[in-house]
Amino acid sequence: MEGRSSFSPPGYSMDIQFVFIQLFNGLALGSFYILLSLGLTIIFGMLGVVNFAHGALYMLGAYCGYTLVQVYSGNFWMAVILSPLIVALIGIVMESTLLRKLYDLPHFYNLLLTFGLMIFIEELIQIIYSPMGKPFNTPKELLGSIDLGFMLFPKYRLFILGVTLFLAIGIWLFMGKTKLGAIIRAGTDDSEMVDALGIDISKIFTLVFGMGAGLAGLAGVLAAPLQNIFPYMGMGILTETFVVVIIGGMGSIFGSILGGIIVGELITMGVIFWPPMANTLIYIFMAAVLLLRPRGFFGRVKFFE
Amino acid sequence: MGRLRMPSLIKNRWCLVWLIPLFIFLPFLTPHHSLASEMLIFAIFAMGYDILFGYTGLLSFGHAIFFGAGAYSSGLILIKLQAPLLVGLLGGIFVSLVIALVVGFLSIRVKGIYFVMVTLAFCQMFYFIALKWSGLTGGDNGLHGVPRPSIGPIHLDSEIRLYYLVLMLFVLCLFLALRIVRSPFGRALQSLKSNEDRAKSIGFNTNHFKLISFLISAFFGALAGGLYALHLNFVPLETLNIMTSGDVVIMSIIGGIGTLYGPIFGAMLLVYLKNLLSAWTEQWNFIMGILFVTSVLTLRRGILVEVKQRLFHKR
Repeated sequence: MEGRSSFSPPGYSMDIQFVFIQLFNGLALGSFYILLSLGLTIIFGMLGVVNFAHGALYMLGAYCGYTLVQVYSGNFWMAVILSPLIVALIGIVMESTLLRKLYDLPHFYNLLLTFGLMIFIEELIQIIYSPMGKPFNTPKELLGSIDLGFMLFPKYRLFILGVTLFLAIGIWLFMGKTKLGAIIRAGTDDSEMVDALGIDISKIFTLVFGMGAGLAGLAGVLAAPLQNIFPYMGMGILTETFVVVIIGGMGSIFGSILGGIIVGELITMGVIFWPPMANTLIYIFMAAVLLLRPRGFFGRVKFFE
Repeated sequence: MGRLRMPSLIKNRWCLVWLIPLFIFLPFLTPHHSLASEMLIFAIFAMGYDILFGYTGLLSFGHAIFFGAGAYSSGLILIKLQAPLLVGLLGGIFVSLVIALVVGFLSIRVKGIYFVMVTLAFCQMFYFIALKWSGLTGGDNGLHGVPRPSIGPIHLDSEIRLYYLVLMLFVLCLFLALRIVRSPFGRALQSLKSNEDRAKSIGFNTNHFKLISFLISAFFGALAGGLYALHLNFVPLETLNIMTSGDVVIMSIIGGIGTLYGPIFGAMLLVYLKNLLSAWTEQWNFIMGILFVTSVLTLRRGILVEVKQRLFHKR
């Protein structure tokens, strides 16, 4: 929620350049939604679990980065590489110790378990680091703006757009072209069948959960320089990510990308045209999607049952 | 999952012999009188929620909306119109039901996991509306100065009298809820939970039943919300928070879903525990998180049933 303040304009002047900047800011904000919803949707497709702790993992990514950079005075690039790995490891531990126990029960028990884990993680961080927000500096190399010809755009946000584009293409290729990706896709369709074919599906489950958690952690550490980090920063973005997957459709990479861009743009455009409703606009859009196409733009019928 | 049975200690008629005095003297057993009211208010909330979650099988993370909307609208009617108490409560229920009709209509278009996410998203939306519309709701500070109008000659300024009002409404709600779940309608809801497709093929209009169940639970939530506003003389913004939805879910799980008595017990236990522990530590939410995880892992049939099973059946 608070993250948005950094996306809001200094004044509400309405020239065309400003609208362009906001359009690009919408893409940058959308990048975070894309990274988060990709993880959410891959985990859901495989495990049938909506990971409520996804926002908390995002927050953990930011705090990992903070600890590495500000406390141990490490390098920002090191934090960008290490934080997702640490968060992925935490995700792997969560999956293999807790979530695994409940796969045979109705799905909502696992969902409630992740909700409980979310509270637990947020409160633990709040106890360790205090509920106060922490500053996180933009790395020196990415300070300032780049002249794109028709407007100036902050380097750091361009960097985020680049990373997201790279990862989205990477994940698409990974899922579509590699053997492991094929196993994951097969497991999404029928995990018992994959298990019967002699592939250890429980390892794949853990791997997929770790991957999703890592993406959330990466989004967190990338978001950190744009805002003060605080223990409850994940809650707001979690609901917005839910809106993304409801609009885009669960289980689809393209759905996540399209949904992420739509939600990002709606929020940043809402700030220009109707500031008090900027937060509400995405829910109204979601309601419209529910009315017209309940499973979302690219939603698979299977997940909708 | 088969039908969940409550332990015989609630089923036997003679248990009323100690349950009735317990409820009558509850405010004298708690550390302060108002805690007893709060316990029963959340019991009403959880009872209604169980009709939706426990009996119909729909997990909603949006019930803070109806609790909050009931609290805010009752509070506003009582403040702005100086209305009588009953009008305030009924007004809150009316507003909540209108909201529930819209939210319910949109949410039941989707199933399962989607339903959870959609209701949660709507909850966040109403939270933002209350936060931003501070002229009406007081925004972050909450809605202050909710009066407690007298009912005829009875003044409600004492916590004890408010408790007995809440108790009266609680008993009425309990009879209503029992009537609902034991009626043919309630049976239809349960059939929906165990196999929706079959219920549909028998000829039930399942969406219709889901919406009515949604509205019933919203009704209980709104009444509880209105009473909560009276109880605090104030409506905190947190009533609309997702955590309030989370609270009622965990109350139901701890008590045992689909039993009606279970969630009542769970709600009373959790509110009492929260009060007790808040005196010791600031980190109630941390404990709540641990409680949530452990009860989902180990107390899925409700604390009473699980404890009884472990003590007497050694499994």
